[in-house]
Order: sequence, then structure tokens, then C-alpha cells
Amino acid sequence: MKDRFREIVSSFFISVTLINVAMLILGFLFRPEQKFGYEVFLYPLLYGVIGVIPSLIITTKKELSVSQVIIRKVLQCVLIAVLLLAFMFAGQPFSSEKIPSAIGVAISVIIIFVLVNVIEWLLDLRTAKNMTKDLIKFQESTYN
Amino acid sequence: MNIKIKLIQEPETEYIEIGCYKRDEKVNELVKLLKLHQGSIEGFKEEKQYRIPLSDLYYIEAVDEKTFLYLEKDCFESKRRLYEFEELLSDRSFARISKSVIVNMMKITAIKPALNGRFLCQLKNGEKVIISRKYVPDIKEKLKG
Repeated sequence: MKDRFREIVSSFFISVTLINVAMLILGFLFRPEQKFGYEVFLYPLLYGVIGVIPSLIITTKKELSVSQVIIRKVLQCVLIAVLLLAFMFAGQPFSSEKIPSAIGVAISVIIIFVLVNVIEWLLDLRTAKNMTKDLIKFQESTYN
Repeated sequence: MNIKIKLIQEPETEYIEIGCYKRDEKVNELVKLLKLHQGSIEGFKEEKQYRIPLSDLYYIEAVDEKTFLYLEKDCFESKRRLYEFEELLSDRSFARISKSVIVNMMKITAIKPALNGRFLCQLKNGEKVIISRKYVPDIKEKLKG
């Protein structure tokens, strides 16, 4: 449980950082003239929370196979995109002007989702390298 | 250092004796190594019973209420349950790495990341076994001694 919590918190903070970058790029592309107040600092945090909701819902104690994990990740990504689009555009009248922004948001979600997983994998790679070093020391101390 | 091997007759118990000036780290390591090779467990294959040296064991896996012992190229069934092996091998070079697997850490060549916070153990015979997220802290601790 503690590990799961740590994993979600880590995923949240990586997401928030990447959302900031995505907001900067999308803002420059679609609304460069837009001015914001201080409330804008809240949005990456809100989007970050929305981003971790699917990993709280789609959770299992079972040990999944690699293909099951990949399917779960794809489902999570789709769910995050749907939740964010609903949060941003629900209740507003539909217009064709919003389609490019919605596509931009969806693409950003996919890119951020992939990047979060790549960063987490790189952190795991570092852990694995340290564990392998410790393993070699352990084996040497047991044999010599 | 001289190495002497003396043949004895049954029913005398087999023994290993070390003659040294003082019991230092090297002697302790030698004792540890001998102990590592000492143990063996029972395994069954095609209704025949075998004694398997612990040092030959790669990993132990529980599948559908059955326990299997995996060697480099061979597999035996055991009547013991996985939790029994966990207790039996707790002070050896074995570690529980998932709900269904105990691995011999002397047979791991490398640890690599897998998806979802899990890790993959590459074994000397080319096989791969998964370390579950839950067991990673215990393994780290065991490796650090």
C-alpha cells in the first residue's frame, strides 16, 4: 500500500511538471494573446489529480502479465484523455473552433502519459542497476 | 595450505575439519561456502525421488497448489509448500520475489526494470523471473546484507 501511494505521488509530480510544459506549448500555439491570473497555477495540479484518478480506479492486487499491463496502460491513457476533455469542455456549447484545441489536448495527454512512463522506467533502470551492483557484491561475498 | 581428504567408512558421519591459526574472515567465508553446498532437498520426477543440492536450484515456483523446483535444464515437483521453503531457506541465498516464486540469488546474472514498478531477474540459464513490486524492498535489504 505504501509503495502504491509512493508510486502515485511520484507519477502525480512528474505529470504536473509535464502538464506545465504542455500548457506552455499549447498556449503559444492556440492562444498566444491570452492573459491569466494567479488561478492558472492551480490548473496543472487539478489536471495532475485528474491524471492519477484512473490509476486509482483501475487497480488490482493480481500479478499481471506484460500484455495485461500494456492493455491496462492503454485503458488508463484513454480514460485520462476522456476525463480531461470532459473537465475542460463539458457544459460549453460545441463549436468546430474547439476541435483543434481538443485534438491538441488529447495528443498532449498521450505524449505526457508516455513520458511519465518513460521517466518512471528510467528511475526503475537506475534502481535495477544499483540492485545488480549489490547482487554482484552479495555473490562475491558468498563465494570467496 | 595443505588439503587433506580422508576416506572413512559407514556408519561414521561424514565431516569437514579446518585447521587454522585463528578463526578469521577467510575461515568464516569458507564455512559459509561449505554450508551453502551442504543442503539438499527432495524432488520428484516421474514417481522417482531425487536429492537436489540447494546450490543447483535456480528457483522454486508454486503453480495451482503444486510446487516445482527448477534447475538449469531440469524441473522436479516437491511435496512441500512455497511458504515452507521460504522458512527453510530464509538464511540461505534464496529470496521470495513474488507471490509464487522463490529465487536463488546466486543464479541471477542481472536485474532489469519491467513495466509497472516490477523488475526482471535474468538467470544464468537464460530464464527470466519477475520480482513483484511488493518484494523489492525485502530483496534490496537482503542484498545489502
